[in-house]
Formats: sequence, structure tokens, C-alpha cells
Amino acid sequence: MVDTRTLGLALRRAAILLVLIVALAPILWLFSIAYKPAREIFASPPQLLFTPTLANFASVFRFFDLWSLLQSSLIIALGSTALSLALGVPAGYALARAKSRYAVWLAYFFLIVRTVPPVATLIPFYLLMRDVGLLGTWWAVILINTALNSAFVVWMMFSYFRAMPVSIEEAALTDGATDLGAFVRVALPTVRPGIIASAILCIMFSWNDFLYAMFLTRSESKPISVALLSAYGTYDISWGTLGALAHFSTLPIVLMMILLNRYFVQGLTQGVH
Amino acid sequence: MAAIRFDHVSKAYADGRRAVDDLNLDIADGEFLVLVGPSGCGKSTALRMIAGLEDITDGRLSIGGVIANALSPRQRNVAMIFQSYALYPHLSVAENLGFALKVRKAPQAERRVAEAAAMLELTALLARRPGQLSGGQRQRVAMGRALVRDPNAFLMDEPLSNLDARLRGQMRVEITRLQRAAGVTTVYVTHDQVEAMTMGDRVAVMRGGVLQQLGNPRTLYDHPVNLFVAAFMGSPPISLLPGFVRAGADGPTLELPGATLALPPRPRLLSYLDKDIIVGVRAEMVSLTDTGKGDLDGTVAFEEDLGASVLTTVDLAPSTQARIVDDLAESDIPQVTRRLKANVQAGRGGRPGAPVGVLMDPQRLLFFDPVTKLAVG
Repeated sequence: MVDTRTLGLALRRAAILLVLIVALAPILWLFSIAYKPAREIFASPPQLLFTPTLANFASVFRFFDLWSLLQSSLIIALGSTALSLALGVPAGYALARAKSRYAVWLAYFFLIVRTVPPVATLIPFYLLMRDVGLLGTWWAVILINTALNSAFVVWMMFSYFRAMPVSIEEAALTDGATDLGAFVRVALPTVRPGIIASAILCIMFSWNDFLYAMFLTRSESKPISVALLSAYGTYDISWGTLGALAHFSTLPIVLMMILLNRYFVQGLTQGVH
Repeated sequence: MAAIRFDHVSKAYADGRRAVDDLNLDIADGEFLVLVGPSGCGKSTALRMIAGLEDITDGRLSIGGVIANALSPRQRNVAMIFQSYALYPHLSVAENLGFALKVRKAPQAERRVAEAAAMLELTALLARRPGQLSGGQRQRVAMGRALVRDPNAFLMDEPLSNLDARLRGQMRVEITRLQRAAGVTTVYVTHDQVEAMTMGDRVAVMRGGVLQQLGNPRTLYDHPVNLFVAAFMGSPPISLLPGFVRAGADGPTLELPGATLALPPRPRLLSYLDKDIIVGVRAEMVSLTDTGKGDLDGTVAFEEDLGASVLTTVDLAPSTQARIVDDLAESDIPQVTRRLKANVQAGRGGRPGAPVGVLMDPQRLLFFDPVTKLAVG
């Protein structure tokens, strides 16, 4: 007789595996084409066994200034994340502690900013950046990503601060802390998982931003997300180069997620209330 | 250490609701004052006003002779213990205890933390986080956070309400002992009348934002100023019976359900001749005997065996004159009924439905005006 518990466990594992395959297959395919010679990429049926080549990586290093691309991506991602948190965390706190019953509406209003299609705001942002003389600089992309991501941070931190008991801050006040002291010493550390989760999502959003970076940067300030487009030639697409370049645009984020996974899951689940 | 004075203090909200209404209260230096009342009576608001966590709408609050209305919590230098304990979740027990000292840059912080930890048996737990502690341990950390300081006053907001009954009993004794040892002015908020009776030098009973009575626990229990205080203080709650004062041929009498007694010789009761009156009877004033041998007759409704004694509920026989006054129906005052609770020795009660006689000392009865609800006599 089959043990129903063992069977249930096996079925559950099979289901998880299925989801993993569906989610990871495109990424694995993208990575695998980097190691294939050009003629084998679209071989039918697909070749699971092939002689790996590093030629695609060689051409990435030859044709792209990889360090400059990664540097731009990093500066844009970290810069806009730092600014988004600096604006969004205190704003979320203020909303959470506001006595008005409209505070919740306002918090959701901030989220609406993110529902506006980026293409619709591209031209106004372009003209704005041109007029203030920031076109082609990292600042242009940093500021626009900050505008979008800080709205998201406000909404996220709003729910974290709301879930935090006010009495903890009151305890700090009666213990002799100033208002700012209670915020910095007690409120901020208490919502640290939320801040880390917000930061990770901000980094992901701005690292992967393509549209604004495409139109607002110049070649010397171009991030790696835009460089990926260079693999699309006029007459053909260099799939192998695309695959090799995708390594460098994906792995830093994956690495960060693996390192911070603990905080990320904790952060996303703690704010739920 | 400091005396605390409420001088016509009120707290009104934008919608006009008054959480605290014209409170006058003098708390002596070193006194243990208990603020007690049902939820929403304004006791916590009053406490938070002392802490500086709640704005004062009207009146003056002084701490140690200094008007404190506009002072920040930091400037007031009071230590507060919260109902939820409000420990800092990201700090260790040692850091929680030392937080106030660190913020104020107090000298010898480490030594004082170690002393408080030793006093509260927390030394072995100093490296733990609040999340790793039991409810009782968290409560002790909250106590310790107040004890390491040298504050003007301890403010305690229902600090024992999250503990189980046994631990609560222990901590009642412990807090009282620590307060006596420290000699720090303490304001203790609770809705538990047992804590009010056992812990405070004086007790202030509040209802609907208004101070009802201030006095030592015994005075409140024996001489409540009104029905509310009489009903709130004491466990089991006081029984309220309908009474009628009659000018009899042999002197005035008190008609109660099931019997007529001689009216206790209290001058003010004479103004109630031929009028209704409410009679308060505490469970320990009553004993039970065989039917016909007591002052009143009734039947046992049900019994609650408390171990040491049996709380017996007796339905008294209907009376001819004494009427139940209906307009007293208020949620925080028990109904005036023919039901009487008697705390009797185990084995002295009777089965439900059995007829019993009720003995009571008329001298100890409490009397209340049915309209004003104030004590009479």
C-alpha cells in the first residue's frame, strides 16, 4: 500500500519542480546560448549536448566597455535607491503616524504613480532633463527612477510603520529620547526588514530600467540594460553576444538576492497586516 | 521623586468628547496612587498626560512643583511601563535596560543595568532579545527599564494585564515591594479592582472622565460615595436590593424582599420615610441558615465553589412594598434585583432550589438614593 503522506510530499515536490522549470527555462536558455556556436543556437531539435565556446564572451569584452556599463548601472541603481529611501522612508513614516483617516488613501495614491505607463511620461521627462541640463548624465536617470521608486517606497514603508506599535516610540520618548531620536534609534531599526526589502526592489527596478536609460543617457553614461540592445544588429541579432551580455546584467542581481534572501522574505512577509 | 498635581485638568477631543473632565488630584511625593475604572473612563489618558504623551486641553499639571503642560516627555523625566511592555525589539535585554541611561548619557550605566538585572533576576537573560523571552520575563524587563533610572515618577499602564493569574499575583506583591523600596511616586492604572485594593496607598476611581472618589482602599470599600464606586470595588460585586423605608408603630423599618428589618439608626435615612431606597449588601456581610431562622427568606439559585468558600446566589422572596427601580439600568452598575450573593463556608450552603434563611448585620448595610445614586448615611 502506498503511504498517502509520502505520495502527497512527492506530488508537492513535483509541483514545485514544474513551477521552477517554467520560471527558469527562459533564463537557462538565454544563458545557454552564450556558450553555443552561432549555428547551433536555433538547431532543431535543440541540442542539449554541444561543445561549449567562450567566443561570445570574447566578443563582449572586445566590443563593449563592460566596466563602464556596469559602473553606470551600479551608480544609477544605488543612487536612485539611496534617494528613494531618503525620501520615501520618512514620508511613509509621516503618513503612518498621521491622524487623518485619509492617510491610507494617500498611501495608495502614491502607488498610482507607478501605474502610469512609462512611455507616456518619456517625452515630458526628456524635455525637463534637457531644460535643466541633465540630459545624458546619470542624474537624469537617477532622478526619474527616484520619482517612481520613492512613491513605491512610501507605500511599502507606510504599511511597515503602521504595523509597528506606537508604544515602542512612546517608550523611547519617556526614556528621554527626542522625537528625532525615537525615530532614528527605535522606529528605523524596528522596520529594518522593510527598509531592506524596499531597497532590494528599488535596486531591481532601476537596474533593469531600460526605457528611460535608453533615451536619457549618452554612450558614456549608458547602463548595461541599454547595452543589451546593441546585440540587435541592423540585419541580424547576435544571440550569442546577447546571452553573454545577459550574464553580466543578471548575475549581480541574482547574487544580491541570494545574499539578502533572508531579509527579503522576512521583510515582505512582516509588513503584511 | 516629585509630587504630581492635577489642577482642573481636562482633555477634550475635536468631536467634543471629554476623555478627562476637570480632574483635581494631588499625588504626594513617594505615594503609590492607583487610578482605577472601567475601560474608557479616562484613567489611561490621565496617566499619558503625566508622561507628556497626551496634550492637555485645559487646566494645569505640575510635576515637582513645576508646571508641566508644555514640557516634552524628556523634560518631565518620568519612567513609564506600558501594558504591551513596548520593549525595543531590535535591542538585547541589557540594551533595553540601558536605553534611557544611554540617551541621557547617564554615568555608571553598566553598573546600574547590572544592579537592576540582578534585582529582577534578569542577569542570565541580558544577551537575549525581547522576542526570545516569556511574557513574565518581558514584564520584568519593562520594570527594569524604569528601575535603572532615577525618575520623578513611575507611571504604570495596566502592567500586569497580559500575565496569567498566578504570575499576576506574584507581580502585584513584587511591584508593591519595589515601589516601597525605591520610594518613587507611582501612578498605577488598572481596571482590576483587586490590584486597586491591594496595591495602592490611595485609590482614585474614575468613570466617564470624571473622578468619582479618592481615598484609601478600605474607605472606598466600606464607604463608597455612590453606587458606581460601590459596584466597582469588591469581588464578588456588591448585591443591590430594592428597599423601602416605612414609619412603623415601633419606629422606622426597612422593607426588603422577603423580610422587614429595623432601620439602622442613621439620621439621614429618616428623610427617606415612605420612599424607595437601594440597599447594598456585600457577600461577606451575609451568612446562611435554615429557612425561617434568618432575617430574610429565599431559595438558593446556584452555587460557585471557590474552594475555600462557596459563593452562593440566593433569590429572595418577593416583597410587598420594595420595588425594583428600573431607571438605574446602566451598563457599569449591576441591576437592582432580588438576587443576593453570599460568601459562605464550604458545606454551609444548600442545593439549588433549597429554601434558606439569610442572616445579615443591618449596621453594615450600604444605602443609596435611587435617583441621585449617591450614598445615604
